[in-house]
Amino acid sequence: MTETDGSERPPATLIEPIDMSTLDASFRREIQSMPDGDELSACFACTTCTAACPIANQWEYKPHQLIRMIILGMRDEVLSSKEIWECLTCFQCQERCPQKVRVTDIIFDCKNLAAEEGKIPDAIRNLARELLEKGQLYVITADWEREDLDLEPELPGLSTEEFKTILRNTRTGRIVGGE
Amino acid sequence: MILSDKVLIIGGGVAGLTAAIELADSGVKTVLVERQHTVGGNALDLYKAFPTDDCFYCFEASRFRPGIRKCFYRSALLDHPNLELRTNTTVEAVAGSPGNFEVTLMVGPQYVDPMRCIMCGLCQKLSSAFVLISPQCQPQAVVYVPDQADDNVKEAVEKCPTKAINLEAQPTEEVIRASDIVVATGYHEMKPVGMEEYHYEELPDVVTQLELARMLDPNGETSGQLVRPSDGGPVKHVMMVQCVGSRDENYYPYCSKICCVFALKHADIIAQEREGVQVSVVYMDIRTYDRHERYYRKSRRAGVNFIRGRVQTVSKAKDGGLEVIVYDSLLDRYLKFRVDLFVLSTALEPSAESNEMAQMLGIRTSNGFVASLDPTSGDEVIVGDHVYACGTALGPAEVPESVTQARAVALKILQGRK
Repeated sequence: MTETDGSERPPATLIEPIDMSTLDASFRREIQSMPDGDELSACFACTTCTAACPIANQWEYKPHQLIRMIILGMRDEVLSSKEIWECLTCFQCQERCPQKVRVTDIIFDCKNLAAEEGKIPDAIRNLARELLEKGQLYVITADWEREDLDLEPELPGLSTEEFKTILRNTRTGRIVGGE
Repeated sequence: MILSDKVLIIGGGVAGLTAAIELADSGVKTVLVERQHTVGGNALDLYKAFPTDDCFYCFEASRFRPGIRKCFYRSALLDHPNLELRTNTTVEAVAGSPGNFEVTLMVGPQYVDPMRCIMCGLCQKLSSAFVLISPQCQPQAVVYVPDQADDNVKEAVEKCPTKAINLEAQPTEEVIRASDIVVATGYHEMKPVGMEEYHYEELPDVVTQLELARMLDPNGETSGQLVRPSDGGPVKHVMMVQCVGSRDENYYPYCSKICCVFALKHADIIAQEREGVQVSVVYMDIRTYDRHERYYRKSRRAGVNFIRGRVQTVSKAKDGGLEVIVYDSLLDRYLKFRVDLFVLSTALEPSAESNEMAQMLGIRTSNGFVASLDPTSGDEVIVGDHVYACGTALGPAEVPESVTQARAVALKILQGRK
């Protein structure tokens, strides 16, 4: 008993543990309430998703860890992680998951939530701006290639105006174009 | 060996009861010895037993007589012509030779005759020396506790409407001859005293799974209410930790097999039947073999938190309850939880009686449990010449497994007879 009620003793770990009471226990329910999050709690941490992932070897948080973090309520860590934005959306994790957890879709949901809170990496924000301004991500620049292939210099019938209007008046415009 | 030759069964738990009923029903004279006043063993303390989530009291009477299956009927254990039940009885010595054992029984004083007691409750009203262990206990009778005797016990004897009480009863020594002996001495739930990270017995809010089962049981001391044993405060967060003493070379090297399902069953009950209580399970790996996987899936669905890793420390929190630091090996992070009840899924250890019996009968043990004569033979229930074992005396087993082994014993005994 003396060991447990004395406050003088040195900390058991040098690293301060994550205090669960500071986390957001409702995060799990929030993700679960989204159409793709239905099977979130089915995860039993087999790490199949991480084994399948072609990019996770350079991630700090592996896919299975992201799922665990959602379940534990580590909302800020998940939504500010770079990993959710680096996902290649190859859907390997989701295809292989033995418990039918929609891992990729859940990562999409996280991106949407992060975007709503303005937590968007600069590169992604720039892409979104480009879309808003030009209505397309890849503008034709090297037209000599088209010339060599006997194609017209401009894409025939390309009209980005309607698309830009849609983007401006929907979420993309609201989140990144609001100045 | 003729068919009816007497068989002695030691231990009146799931396995012993099943073996006794199966043999008696087949025409074999059977003596069932139980150390305690009532039969049923550990299974009675489980609240709900997997895989059927039934209360075990309902299996306990003979399951093969539909008319008396339910708990409120007098058990066939007392009425069966081939079955002699000896409660409050221990085996003192075994002599003779295989096939012709001479067994000395120490039969404790039988103060209340279960054949006469009608459980009217009159004696209990008069004196606290008379207790009813449970309304569904088998045999259906009140138990007399001499230590509690007061001035009113005499009056109880006189007023007993069926004259079932005899305070003059003395312990007797009885020698019986038996052709075969069945060891069904069961298990004991390990009490992890001295495992320093858990502070069991030092912190009252640290309990074992069997103790939790008592708390969940509507017939238990708390009438099924989950409250902190330390101060009676409400329980909002229950944390369980698996493999306490199991798979641990310092304690028991084996997997105790049932603790995962046992814990998940409790997690399910709490998550689904107790409003607003969060359950977390700290585990190394969850071993829900066979179709018991459904318990695991069900509890994940119900929102039970599973944390793979181990517990670093448990200490008293300032506002009551406990503070637990867990290492989460999947995240490689340390997590600090505030919990109200900390439940240890402890190992199933061999009961003291198993060892005693093994010595008396000269049979081998393995990790303290009774060992099969030839583990590769497929006849795991044969532990010696005319000596058999079934249920958790052989090692950790669930209820259906114990029943299957008990039936195997009955079959083996019957095969040796004409």
